[in-house]
Amino acid sequence: MRLSRLGRLLASFAVAALLVWGWQLIADYKLVSPVFLPGPDRAWGALVKGFSTGDLGVKLLATVERMFWGWLIASLIGIALGAAIGTSPRLRAYLAPMLEFLRPLPASAMIPVAIAVLGLSNGMVLAVIAFGALWPVLLATIHGFSAVEPRLYEVGRALGLSRASVIWKIALPSASPDILAGMRLGLTVALILSVVCEMIAGRDGLGNWILLAARSFRAPDLYAGVILLGMLGYITAVALAVLEARLLVWRNRAR
Amino acid sequence: MRAPDTTVKATAPVIAFDKITLAFGAKTIISDLSLEIGRGEIVCVIGPSGCGKTTALRVAGGLIPPTKGTVRLLGEPMAGPRRDVAIVFQDYAKALLPWRTAAGNISLALEAAGVAQSERGDRIRDLLAKVGLAGHEDKYPTEMSGGMQQRIQIARCLAQDPAVLLMDEPFGALDAMTRQGLQDEMLAIVAETGATVFFVTHDLEEAVYLGDRVIGLLPHPGRIGIDQRIDLPRPRNQLETRETPEFLRLRRTLFDFIEKAEH
Ligand SMILES: Nc1ncnc2c1ncn2[C@@H]1O[C@H](COP(=O)(O)OP(=O)(O)OP(=O)(O)O)[C@@H](O)[C@H]1O
Ligand SMILES: [Mg+2]
Repeated sequence: MRLSRLGRLLASFAVAALLVWGWQLIADYKLVSPVFLPGPDRAWGALVKGFSTGDLGVKLLATVERMFWGWLIASLIGIALGAAIGTSPRLRAYLAPMLEFLRPLPASAMIPVAIAVLGLSNGMVLAVIAFGALWPVLLATIHGFSAVEPRLYEVGRALGLSRASVIWKIALPSASPDILAGMRLGLTVALILSVVCEMIAGRDGLGNWILLAARSFRAPDLYAGVILLGMLGYITAVALAVLEARLLVWRNRAR
Repeated sequence: MRAPDTTVKATAPVIAFDKITLAFGAKTIISDLSLEIGRGEIVCVIGPSGCGKTTALRVAGGLIPPTKGTVRLLGEPMAGPRRDVAIVFQDYAKALLPWRTAAGNISLALEAAGVAQSERGDRIRDLLAKVGLAGHEDKYPTEMSGGMQQRIQIARCLAQDPAVLLMDEPFGALDAMTRQGLQDEMLAIVAETGATVFFVTHDLEEAVYLGDRVIGLLPHPGRIGIDQRIDLPRPRNQLETRETPEFLRLRRTLFDFIEKAEH
């Protein structure tokens, strides 16, 4: 069990190393012009330099903050709204068609609207991120709350639990796997929208850094930014997976 | 302690169905059903599938209001579920919270009753011991056998300190050995607590073995077809009681009733 996990970890590292090596070969033999594709060595150098002498750390922090707040707002609204809709068949019947209409709209399409209404402000950026990340959380929460075992509600009634206790002790934990899955998706969306907003609205951050590097043909800087984005996505995903595993111990204990 | 002579039923009935009619839309499920259950009595309810046993139990538990008539509990009209009426559901896997351990599931009843956190631990340990699960407090339902899960549900019901236990085929999904073990445990617990029991079952032998009385329902619409006293001595014994001529005679009576009711 342990060994096979370690084995898989090693294998995935090996694949990653192989890819980086291939990238290095392509760059060394100039299969693609170095103007567009610097080797991993130069990209790494740019990354280190960006952190030590430049302001890459500041940009990273700006993006992380933006992503985090947008995601948090989306999660809080999504869970509260989703709980209300998911527990009420009436609300569900009224709102489901509208939600289905709004859901497939790409959140980036909202950016011009948001700019028109809120201007080129941080509030606009946050609104767009929260709007985009809201959907996965909201829809997953609705599903989670509407799929609570009816028998458990009866147990709650028979035990004389208060309404608040029923929501807090029965409905919410029952919906939590769905909610967490929605929040994981929401976080990915929040990262993407943070970067897109920075590029479109020119807010300070990794997205803007990448865009400026591309415009001035600083390919190593561009790749440094992309690598950083990838790492950020990976780390947040792992952090959420760890949190999920801790919160949902009971799911992994099945016989 | 339960009085050994179960024919003495003093005072007001614990549960009284007074001309209960229950309809879902145009369909009458239970019609004009009257029934009185005395303190400490174990009443088993049998009847063909779909005759309204579960529905009658849910009415007794206050989960569904009757269309006509009243249910009285200790003399008071029933307005909804009450903490002193505990319900043991057949589908224990659905009735337990999968995200709570054995202890956590029992704790839910104590939390609902407002028992202080400092007292819960001891109560939970006592209850687990009572259902033969001492030392299993940290197991999740999915880590337990069906019999153990049903014991947890029974322990949770006992945590309500119930005057009445409503049980809907609680052992129906368990294998024969586990079922017999739980039958005896239940009888011991009921004898100790003096609870009144309304026990729905498909198993005629189980009904005779457990009951002071067996009510047979007739279908379409549900009404009482037979009200059979069971005067087998207590404590009962899985081998000896089931071999007595009286047990066999009662089983035969109920068998004949079910056969007629199904045709
Ligand atoms: N919520 C409901 N709405 C409409 N009809 C219902 C509802 N619940 C039960 N019924 C109907 O009421 C009748 C009696 O059901 P009930 O579950 O009480 O029977 P039962 O005697 O417990 O049967 P079984 O032995 O199969 O458990 C059935 O015909 C069933 O279809
Ligand atoms: Mg039934």
